[in-house]
Amino acid sequence: MITLRGLTKRYGDRTAVRDLTLEVPAGRVTGFLGPNGSGKSTTMRMILGLDRPTAGVALVGGRPYGALRHPLREVGALLDAKAVHPGRSARAHLVAMARSNGIAVRRVEEVLDTVGLTAVAGRRVGSFSLGMGQRLGIAGALLGDPRVVMLDEPVNGLDPDGVLWVRGLMRSLAAEGRTVFVSSHLMSEMELMADRLVVIGRGRLIADAPVAEVIAGSSRNAVRVRSPRAGDLAALLAAEGVEVVEVEGWDLVAVEVSLERVGLLCHEHGIPLYELSAREASLEEAYMELTGASVEYGAAAGIPAAGAGARAGVAAGLGAVAGR
Amino acid sequence: MTAVMERAPGGSGDGVGEGGPGGFRGAVAAEWTKLWSLRSTWWGLVGAFVVMGVMCVILGGAVASNNTNAIAEDDQGVVAVGGIAVDAVDIVQFVVLTLAMLVITGEYSSGSIRSTLQWTPSRARMLLAKASVVAGVLFPVGVALGAVGTAVAYPMLGVWGRFSVGGAVSAALACGVYLALIGVFALGVGAVLRSTAGTLTTVFLLLMVVPMMLGSGGSKVMAHIADSLPSSAGRHFMKGDSVPYPAVAGLVILVAWVVAALWAGCVILRRRDA
Ligand SMILES: Nc1ncnc2c1ncn2[C@@H]1O[C@H](COP(=O)(O)OP(=O)(O)OP(=O)(O)O)[C@@H](O)[C@H]1O
Ligand SMILES: [Mg+2]
Repeated sequence: MITLRGLTKRYGDRTAVRDLTLEVPAGRVTGFLGPNGSGKSTTMRMILGLDRPTAGVALVGGRPYGALRHPLREVGALLDAKAVHPGRSARAHLVAMARSNGIAVRRVEEVLDTVGLTAVAGRRVGSFSLGMGQRLGIAGALLGDPRVVMLDEPVNGLDPDGVLWVRGLMRSLAAEGRTVFVSSHLMSEMELMADRLVVIGRGRLIADAPVAEVIAGSSRNAVRVRSPRAGDLAALLAAEGVEVVEVEGWDLVAVEVSLERVGLLCHEHGIPLYELSAREASLEEAYMELTGASVEYGAAAGIPAAGAGARAGVAAGLGAVAGR
Repeated sequence: MTAVMERAPGGSGDGVGEGGPGGFRGAVAAEWTKLWSLRSTWWGLVGAFVVMGVMCVILGGAVASNNTNAIAEDDQGVVAVGGIAVDAVDIVQFVVLTLAMLVITGEYSSGSIRSTLQWTPSRARMLLAKASVVAGVLFPVGVALGAVGTAVAYPMLGVWGRFSVGGAVSAALACGVYLALIGVFALGVGAVLRSTAGTLTTVFLLLMVVPMMLGSGGSKVMAHIADSLPSSAGRHFMKGDSVPYPAVAGLVILVAWVVAALWAGCVILRRRDA
């Protein structure tokens, strides 16, 4: 279990992480999401005692990382796959790592095998590709058979096979009762991998909830209706205070209303229905909506609703909803 | 969830932790493994021995030719063979120092310091483990360098060399002690400055340039200051001088510099982010 209490980090006058309080539970995969520069890596560095918090504490299993006698046997982490001396072989790196924490050196061959690097273990790390470096980082995280596994963008640079493998690995680590804390920018991957999500923006906590709850909270969950009297239905819904976001010919899209309510309303007023369906938001849409206001390094176009709150995000999301 | 917790993973009890004690000894073992798994270490050592050999050829040859040329003022007479090796350390030390400081500055430049601190979160333990390995390697290397230097200087000096087993052994031991200590000093400076170029420049200025400038001034105060710098203290120690202070005092001054550098390194490591 990872516990953060009021965790804050300032670099000069820039606050990278602001008063973060949360718990990452054991036995679950917890996804860590947030736009570029939102403070994910900084948070993880503080958990590992690499950066000193300006305020607050980060605890692993109830203790600060620096107080762990054999940290690698408690916490396996991959922060930066490049944090390996390029002149050293993968095997030498892992052997040194094992020795530092009194881990049996035979574990090195086991984890090399697990990540599929046995054949290149004698090669200098500097000659590794991005994905090979990433695999070495994952091998290091697994070396001490730790209770807590924390990975910063582990699938970055991995081939599709590797991505699938990491997903399975995270699931099985969590199923064994371990704490798994993973950051990623790949929403589709997160949707498949994570049980819970922690979302931050500009260093602040935005959401800390099960994945299903995050998606359910999205205003982009909509009801789609096809009816020859769509116009009449729109008026009825509007009269009931339901937001109708689009009417086009026979098609109508309304948000924040249940299928049942729309169905009953049509029944009461004798409106024929050709289609009544729910359209569930994707994690990506829910995420975009949550973080829309806190994207700092957005591209000039194509990022929905930067600079507005969640409500304003709805308008931008609708295009996507109606367009399908 | 409780069901899957039955097989409590991790922790110290399930076979993973059969590899030794971890802690300080683990940190030392890791540093040892890291040092020898880099090619630069081997090249550095080869380089140190080559420079030692070349310097002793030059210095030994210079004594012999000074004694035989027409100019009388530069005659040194018969000199101790081991003293030539000690003189060569003035230059050889920079090869050795580079090796020592790369143990930490190389990790900063490659980013692998973050791995190291993940393995050994205690800054003091990490730095002391590095210092132990540096000293443990450089002492025997220094002794061997002193021996090689003496062996090379002996034929170069010919009749102008005074050789005794006792003198050669003590010169070699002194080289070992000095290089081990000055290596740890460079490591401490490296922990403070983090950059390889910055550390090398600083150490070069402090050990070579500043003593030379102070010594050439002719002022007594400046000469005293020069004598209190680590390289001068080390030279007085290695040469077994009695002026300006006894050899033991030279060793004490040198050790004080080493302790100060390590302490500063520790303070900075604790205070700053990795
Ligand atoms: N050492 C540092 N000195 C100054 N500012 C820093 C430092 N490290 C991080 N920052 C700043 O802190 C903020 C958070 O950075 P961080 O790397 O934690 O973001 P992130 O969420 O991991 O982003 P990404 O998704 O791009 O990896 C950024 O604004 C960054 O510029
Ligand atoms: Mg990051």
